[in-house]
This record gives sequence, structure tokens and C-alpha cells, in this order.
Amino acid sequence: MSSVTQRVDPVTLTVIWSSLISVVDEMGGALKRTAFSEAVREGEDFSTGLFDRQGRLIAQGNFTPGHLGSMPYVLQNVMRFIPLESWEPGDAIATNDAFLGGGHFPDMFLVSPVFDQGGFEKGRLLGFVVNTAHHADVGGVSPGSEGVQGVTSAFMEGIRILPVKLIRNDVFDPDLMRVILGNVRLPEKMRGDLLAQRNANFVGAQRLRRLYAAYGDNQVTQAIEEILERSEARARELIRRLPEGTYSYEDQLDDYGPGTEPIRVAVDVTLKDGEATVDFSRSGDEVPAGINCYINYTRAYASFAMRIFAGIDVPNNAGAERAIKTVAREGSFFNARYPAPGGGRASVQVRIFDAINGAMAQAIPERAMGAFTHWANPKFGGFDRATGKSWIMYDLVLGGFGGRSYKDGVEAMCPVFNCANVPVEVHETNNPVRIHRLELIQDSSGGGEHRGGSGIRKDVEMLADDVTVTLLGDRHLNSPYGLFGGLPGARGRTVLIRDGEESDLGSKEVRKLRRGDVVSFRLAGAGGYGDPVRRDPAKVIDDVKDGFLSRGKAEAIHGAAALTGLD
Amino acid sequence: MTRISFDIGGTFTDFALQTADGSVTIWKVPTTPRAPAQAVVASLRQRFGDNRHDPAYDPASVEELLHATTIATNAILERKGARVALITTAGFRDVLLIGRQKRYDTNNLHLDKPRPLVPRRDVFEVDERLAADGSVVRALDEAAARQVARSVADGGYDAVAVVFLHAYADPVHERLMAALLAEAAPDLPVSLSSVISPKFREYERTNTTVANAYVAPLVGTYVDALTTSLRDLGIGSDLSIMQSNGGLASPDLVRAYPVRIIESGPAAGVMFCAEVGREEGYDHVMTFDMGGTTAKLGAIDDGSPAVTPTFEVDAVNYRKGSGLPLNIMAVELLEIGAGGGSIARTRMGLIQVGPDSAGAEPGPICYGHGGTEPTITDANLTLGYLNPAYFNGGAMQLDAAGAAAGIETQIGQPLGLDRLQAAWGIHSVANANMERAMRIVSIERGRDPRRYALVAFGGAGPLHACRLARALEIPRVIVPRGAGVGSALGLLVAERTFDVGLTRFVRMDAAAAGPIATIFADLEARVREAASHLGSSGAVRLQRSASMRYVGQGHELRVLLPDGSTDAAYAEQVLQAFTATYQREFGYSDPDAPVEATDWYVVATVAGDRRGRDLRLDSTATGRDPVVGERPVYMPEAGGLVPCRILDRYALTSEHRFVGPVLVEERECTTVVLPGDTVSLSAAGNLVIDLLPGQSESLAETTR
Repeated sequence: MSSVTQRVDPVTLTVIWSSLISVVDEMGGALKRTAFSEAVREGEDFSTGLFDRQGRLIAQGNFTPGHLGSMPYVLQNVMRFIPLESWEPGDAIATNDAFLGGGHFPDMFLVSPVFDQGGFEKGRLLGFVVNTAHHADVGGVSPGSEGVQGVTSAFMEGIRILPVKLIRNDVFDPDLMRVILGNVRLPEKMRGDLLAQRNANFVGAQRLRRLYAAYGDNQVTQAIEEILERSEARARELIRRLPEGTYSYEDQLDDYGPGTEPIRVAVDVTLKDGEATVDFSRSGDEVPAGINCYINYTRAYASFAMRIFAGIDVPNNAGAERAIKTVAREGSFFNARYPAPGGGRASVQVRIFDAINGAMAQAIPERAMGAFTHWANPKFGGFDRATGKSWIMYDLVLGGFGGRSYKDGVEAMCPVFNCANVPVEVHETNNPVRIHRLELIQDSSGGGEHRGGSGIRKDVEMLADDVTVTLLGDRHLNSPYGLFGGLPGARGRTVLIRDGEESDLGSKEVRKLRRGDVVSFRLAGAGGYGDPVRRDPAKVIDDVKDGFLSRGKAEAIHGAAALTGLD
Repeated sequence: MTRISFDIGGTFTDFALQTADGSVTIWKVPTTPRAPAQAVVASLRQRFGDNRHDPAYDPASVEELLHATTIATNAILERKGARVALITTAGFRDVLLIGRQKRYDTNNLHLDKPRPLVPRRDVFEVDERLAADGSVVRALDEAAARQVARSVADGGYDAVAVVFLHAYADPVHERLMAALLAEAAPDLPVSLSSVISPKFREYERTNTTVANAYVAPLVGTYVDALTTSLRDLGIGSDLSIMQSNGGLASPDLVRAYPVRIIESGPAAGVMFCAEVGREEGYDHVMTFDMGGTTAKLGAIDDGSPAVTPTFEVDAVNYRKGSGLPLNIMAVELLEIGAGGGSIARTRMGLIQVGPDSAGAEPGPICYGHGGTEPTITDANLTLGYLNPAYFNGGAMQLDAAGAAAGIETQIGQPLGLDRLQAAWGIHSVANANMERAMRIVSIERGRDPRRYALVAFGGAGPLHACRLARALEIPRVIVPRGAGVGSALGLLVAERTFDVGLTRFVRMDAAAAGPIATIFADLEARVREAASHLGSSGAVRLQRSASMRYVGQGHELRVLLPDGSTDAAYAEQVLQAFTATYQREFGYSDPDAPVEATDWYVVATVAGDRRGRDLRLDSTATGRDPVVGERPVYMPEAGGLVPCRILDRYALTSEHRFVGPVLVEERECTTVVLPGDTVSLSAAGNLVIDLLPGQSESLAETTR
């Protein structure tokens, strides 16, 4: 539509670009501070996007990488259902479809057109603002709508909303709201989050209008062309700096429920002519459990990993996006077809990164690290007779990073996606649970010249009857790998402690619990980097003094000589 | 009756001395970093000696000594505090190491977390447990706790912190532990979380308590040593020290709550801005302090600085979430990496300014100390805003040719711009960064900039202030006199305060009145008791506030609450205050959703005697012509490089009025007055710039 006839001067371009990014940042700030869903407010499991009038992504709020794959396409997807001509100022279109959107139903997108304010006329279309947020529950068989075991089809995962005009003239459609809220476990929470989402788009629209008013349509339009062009060029330039070739790695997920087979995670990364192609086609097939990845989700974390490894410093937009291609065989685990269930796909993102990390370690060893500890994302829920209310406790148990080429892995930090934990005191205030410990596990980290981070143990006791826990973890059966002689971390476990007896739970099991039961999460340790023999003995001694390693384990890994300075 | 204030900063220690008639003398000396008290005592001794015939300089006549210091902040930044033992609930020794676990930069997997103030080996566990409502689930194992107390006593620690889960709800176990510690190690300073920070969320509470213990021995020793030295000078009055909340406290309170004096200096600076606003008839002031490495932005509403219940120390590149969070009331300042020394680079054909800074060493290219990358100061020099012969009052000669050449080769040539365009690019990109930050502080937080005045200070603040004000439609800019020692002056006008807070979850329904009454009765009793130790006998004013949210949300909003009787009607007022604050902050509210409060606060302020406290700084104007020259200055508002009159601030009187473009030079800074704007000197001696109406970008939209 618009060709660049005159280039925007570099100063104006700088200022317009950073202003466009600040629009999506401000939208995100508004959403986060008013959100109810734990995933949004603690996990920043949301994203904001700004599109030009041609429907191209111009700026995306960097809150979670999880929507890098879906945001660029959501507008085109929505317009296939609701043609642009019928969009009016004050409208917003919602969808939570797994294929069109974020890959599972809890992610609700809200798309709003932005018109300039033209008197009685509709005004000129300037662009679109979009946000997506992970809702606490959208119905289905398991609280939190992310069950894996026994969830054999998307029809068990809650309400599916293909694009609908949920808001007209700034007002929620009351009929649609009844339909939606009548199908979820925590309708008040969802209503609050939808209000927050509406407000985020309102803030975004206002800022975008101001930007157009300040710089004029021509200049902004030209700046957008420049931004997309330069972003793509920059991304390609950075990828071109990596050594060309095809790099492969294979890892696996434990299973997709108790007693099932492992899922093969195989990746081939090809770097050629300034383009990265990440191909998961050799991976396993779709599985009959709520953990499949739709291509949008696979693309999100494949893009994120490649951005990290190539050091791509361009904020995401339709231009930068073109330099990284994600491919997976249709019908495979990483390119599932509707109605494959995908509620629990969050568990897979760390493995997507681990696999690409394993491949890229061959190309750029200094930027790779040992595998992560993986994480646990359990949801406890039920009906509490003491309060007469349904409750859902959404939890995040997050372990350490793998060893790096130059330093130990960081302890207890969120891997890949980015999330804060929920404080113990907050959980115990809001839910009928008592948490008995939250601590690092001694001797769990993968040894190395630079060791991995430790696993984490968290013990949660039920103070209510009739609780269902939906587990979402991994690395119970295969350890986080080490690199270049670094050792793998210890395997993880999930243990049910009932009447003092311990029994193992599957990493993705759904289990009924009763009052007094304790679920003990014991995350795997992260992988090490480099031969442990080369570790600085002073660090070994520190690890023993600080209790990360027992004396015996330290001796076994590093040799008795490393401990001579102790005592 | 003389009052003396001193602010010990990293480079300079600033003094202000006010005599009984209100007149103020200011001066500064280099800081002695290893022994900060040394410079203070030496400088005062010399002043007293030089003026020994002036009764105002009689040490015995010194009535108040007011002090701001970075000692606590530096101890944490440099990890040079005490060796602290942490005693905590069994099963939770890793609270500090785990933290909140979020990366401060999502797109960086190679970052590190802040190093905890207590290493893992110094954390001790005790078997005990409270529930969220404060009830005892498992009684404290006294025998084991006594054993821990003994280990701590024998461990060679300087201080100890005790933090048990849910101790904000009931201090019973922490007090028991403190008693056992007192038996085993009577001289060891103990910080209890139920005293230092009785608020929920264990990581933040633990970190605050540990930080308190970490700085306690150092601050205690420092306060004692300083007091002794000043006594030796013959000054009998007690010290008052600035807290991060903008209020002064007595040495006793500072010894007990040393973590509260972090950010002491910047808080005093904001109090100075509040006073300057008051002098010029403004209750609503935005504050803008731009120095060598950062710009700090703040707000004063109704004469009081915006205060937040949390503060982050030791942040990386001013990124939220990268430092150590502290539950302390702190004057709210948004800090961004935009200062005179911020480095400009090109990337992707764009100009990027900051957050990397050339700092003071090597500094900008124009300092001639080996700096090779162009900075904001280099750009400002190239644009003609700075006088190469009168930088820092002429103490430093600037290399204008070097600055221009650096900008031309590193920014101009890669982008196809000439040196002026390139310098203007750096200047305006820096402005855009600060404008965005200013928008966050103002519009995004429900403040209408058109109702505010902008008080600008710091070495680079007055140079950038007018363009910033225009962009935000702020109608008036004030450049205070004495801005170079703003924190020292702020100390002279600050009041004594003490705040208390606690966590109690109260749902705003029909049953809320009772709990609210109990909470405020408790808090107000505690704060009055503490206020009696503040070191002043004036009337005590109380300000209530609460952290509130819709039930189910995770972020709270701090809501100022009315005073008055806490009867049944009061609960309704609390709810209304929340709704109004929420509406202002976020542009909407939800009348159907239930509301709860999580934390409650009372701040006690002891009203100072303001008579004779107006800051009257000596004027040196002698009636000479303030126009001291003219030079070409880049003003795109006037079409480019235009001749611009240069004013000597020290020659200005309240009779003068000049219409821009003009530059006003003073020792510490240069004020850029844009074409059409009017600059004059107020009766109080502040520069006041009235912006030409209609020059600002339209801000017609309001939030919903």
C-alpha cells in the first residue's frame, strides 16, 4: 500500500519507534497491575501487541515469550471470521481458540481496532491493539483447564470461543458474558481479568492516537515501513554471524501421563543465508493427552531460543519475525491438529529450549548452558466446605539454571518463560494448604567446571477434603543433560506422603487428595558445564560449607584432593 | 539559635547553616569516603573558627543538627555490612537465595540474581510454625532454639535477624527467640521481622529484616562517632537523620531501624523541591533531578512527596526487580539512565542514549580525561548550551572541538547527519527517554501535568527542563537557588516523622468496621509512642493509609485514608477512598467487585516550628547588567542556530524579565529558556520560567 518515498530522519525514527514500544509496554503495565489471574500478575503470562492498519505486528510487549508465536498472526486469523468492514470504534473481538491463538484455551485474546476521532464519521483506521492473558480457569475437566492425564480431546478442556465481538461500543455483550462465565469455575476472577484486558486496549488505543496526532499519519506510516525493514535486516545480519550449518539434538519428555511412552523431542536447526529454520518434524506424534503443542506455541519458544542464541536485539515485530522459521510435521507433537488437547503444553517450553540449546552448543558453545532443572506447575483445587467456595491454587516451583561456559548456573531462577513465584504466605492465606518446606536439594546439581543449579523441594499439605491435583512436571525419568563433560543433574520426583508413607506420583498425573496428604515436589538438578575435575577447589569447598554439596558427593565428583582445604 | 544541615554524598559533603533570622549560608567540601565524619567535623571546625566573633557560629547556639547520609546504602551496594546470622522457620532456610525468581530481563538468560546479604551457611533453622491467622500450629522447640542461640553466640556474628513465617500476624515466636538470644548473647543486636517489617510476603520481609541487621552495627557506630565528634566541637544538640520517607528521625530510632535511612539524601532533595514549590505557590510539583549518570523523577501532591511502601536497593541499570526489595516507606523516585555522562551510540541507523554512562571518570569527551564516546554533555556543548569556559563555575575548561569531532565521527557520519543535527539527535533522544519516564510518573499515575510546576535541578536538569515541560504541557519551570546543595536545604525544611505498618487482611464489608478500629487503635498507639522519641515536642499529626485491592488481585494500591473516628461509617469512607484512587490510577473501577485491604499504615509527623524557617539565601545581586554575553545556540524552535543572550544568574534581581531564547548560567548548571518563554527571578530567589501557551503537544485525551 505505502511505499517509502522519503525516509524518516534517524532522530524522528528513533523517537517514533521507542514510542511505539512504549505503547505496548504501557498496555502491559496496566494489565499486570489490575489482573486477578496469578498467571498474569505473577507470571506475566500475557502479551500486548500493536498492529498497523495493514495488520502487521509493529511492536509486541515483552512479557512472556509464550506469545511470540501467536501474536503476529492473530489479527489475520480474527479477520477471517469477522471482516474488517464490520468493525466499529469501541469494539473488541475475543478468541481463546488453541489453533488461532496461544495454543490452549486459558489464553484469551482481545483485539480492538483504533480509529482516529473523526466527528460523526467513523474516523480513519490507524491500527489495532491486542492483548492476550492467561485466565485462571476456562472450564473443562480439571481445575485450571490444564490437565494432561485423561484429557484425550480439546472438548474436555473447557469453553472454546472462536472470534466473537465480545465488546461493542465499550460495553461487554451481556449475553456472551453469561455464556462464557457460566462455563468457568471462577467467574468473578475471569470477569475482573476481562475488565483489565479491556482497559489495557483502551490505554493502548489512546497512546496510539496521541502518537499519530504528534507525528502525523505520513511520518508514522513511513516510520513503520522503516522499522519493519530494518528489523528484518538486523535479525538476518545477526543470524548470519553464526556459523552456517545444520545442528541437531534429541531429548525427550518423560511421558504424557502415568504408564505412557516418552515423547521424542528432536530438533534440526539450520542456519543459512541469514535465516534460521528450526525443524521439529523428527519428533514424536500427537498424543491423546493435554500436552500437545500447536504450531503457534512451538514457534513462540523456537523463536525465543533463536533470538537468545543469535543475540537478536530487535524488539519483536513482523519484520524481525521473518528471519526465523519454525517447522514441524503436521500431526506431530509440535504441530498438533484440532481437536488435539493442549492445556498442559506449558510444560514443554523448557524442553523446546533445552533441545535447541543442545543443538546450538555445537555451533556456539560459549552461549550454551547445561539443561534446566525443569519446573513444576501444579494446580490444586476443589470445593472447600469450610468456606463454601471453589478454590484453585496455581503454583510454580522453579529450580536452577544449567552451568554456563564461564560461571555456575544460577540457583532458583525462572527458566525460559519468566515468572515470579507465589509467596508461601500468600498461598497459605488464600488456600486451604500448609507448606512445610521450600528449599534447595543437596547433591542434586549436575557437577562440572561450572556446576548447574540445584533442584528445589516444596512440600504442600492439604487442609481440605476432596482436592484434585493436576500435576505438570517432567525430568522424573531422564536427567537434565550436562555439556562438554559436565554431569547431568539428579532426576526429579513427585511424592505423595499419606499417613507417613511415601509413594511416587507421575510427573503429569491427576490425583484425588484428602486432608492431611502432602505432595512433595522434588525438582531435578540442572546440568553442569565442563569437566568437574577442572573446577576451582575453592568453589568446591564453598559448596560444601554452604551445604549445596555433601562432603561425600563432593569427593565423588571432584576427587578428595579438591577438599584438602576444608576443616 | 542556629541550625546546621549536612548531606554526605559520594563526591561532596554539602552544608547549610541557618541563623535565627532565617538566613542561610551554604557551602560544600570534598567527602572523605573512608571516614565521612572527618570532613564534616573539619569543615565545621574551620567555619566556627573563621567566624568566631559571630554569635550565630557559636557551637553552643546550634539548636539542631540535620543529616543525610549514604552510609547504609553504600554498605549494601559494596556488601561491606555486618556478618549477620539469620534464624528462620525450619524448612525455609533458602528464602533469600530463592527470592521471587523472576528474571529482571525476560530476553536475557545470562543474568544473575543479587547476592543475598547472608550466605547460606549462616542461616539457622528453628522448628516452629504459625498459620496465616497467627495461630500456633507448632510451638517453638525451645530446647533446639536455645541450641541455635548458643551456636549464633559462638559463631562470631555482628548481628542477627529473626524471621519466622507469618510472624507479621503474631510476634510470639520471634519474641521468644529474641529472649533466648538475649540470654545466650546479650550484646548481639537483634532485628525481628515482626518489629522491622510486620508485612506478609516472606522474601521481602526477610530481606528487609536482614538488611536492617546488616547495616545496624555500622550505622550505630557511625552515629555514635559522629555525635561524639560534634560534642567535642562544643555542639550539644542531638543529631536528626533523614529517613527514606522524607522525614527526620532521632538517633535512637535510627539505631533501631537503620534500614530506614537508605536513600536519605535523595529524599531530602525531594523535600527541598516541595519547599521550593511552596515558595512559588505550588502544592503540586513534579521533580526532575538530572545529574551525571541518571535522571530522577518524582512528584509532590498537596505539598507532600509521593511515598511508596517499598524500595529496591542495588538494582542493575535501574531495572525493576534486579535489586534487593525492602519494605520501607520511601519517597517515590523513578530513576532512568539519562545523565550528562550517558553515552550515545548508533545501532540499526538509530541513536541510542544510555543507560551506559561515561560517569565522572573518564567522563564525556569534552572533559578531556580520556573519554572517547560522545555523551549528552558533549551534545549540549556542541549545541551551544554549555559555556566551555564556565563549566562548574569555571573550575573546568571543556574541549568543545573534541566533543564536536566525536559526535561528528561516531554519530553524524554513520547516520548522514552534520554535527549539529547529530548533537541535536542525542539531545532530543535523551529528552524523549525522559519524557516517557515523566509520563509514567504523571499521566499514567493519574496526575494531570497541567496542574503541576516542574522543579528542575542537578547539573543537567535545568538544561533539559523546559523542553520536557513543553512536551508534557507543564506550564511553569522552577530552577531553585541553592540547587547545588538541594538535599542540605531540604533537611532544613523537613519534619520529623515515624511510620508504622502491619499486615491484616480485612474485607470491606459490613463487618469491616470493628477490625479497622482495632488496627488503627493499635497502630496509632505505637506510632505515638515512637513519636515521643523523635526528638521534638511539637504537635503530632497522623496520616492513615492502606494497601488495598479487589479481592483476588495480587497487586495493591496505596490509598490515603481520612482521619477521624473509626466508626461504622468509616469503613464506607475507606471503600470510597479506594474506589477513587483506583479510578484515578487505572481509569476505571468496578463497583460490583469486593474489596480488601492487606496492609495498614500510620505516619506520625511532628509539626516543626516554621517561624523563621523560610530559606533566605544571601543574594549577591548588585544591580549590574545580567546580560554577560551572547553566543550562537541551536534552537530548532527558532529555526536553528540563533544568537542567544547569556545571563548571569547571580546578577538577576526580581525586576528582570527576559524572553527566550536566553541561557542563564550559574556555577552548577545552565538553564535553557526557549524562544518565546519568559524567565524571571522570584522574590524567594528562584528562577521561574513561564512557558509560552500553545507550544505544547496536545494532551486533550483524558483517562477513562
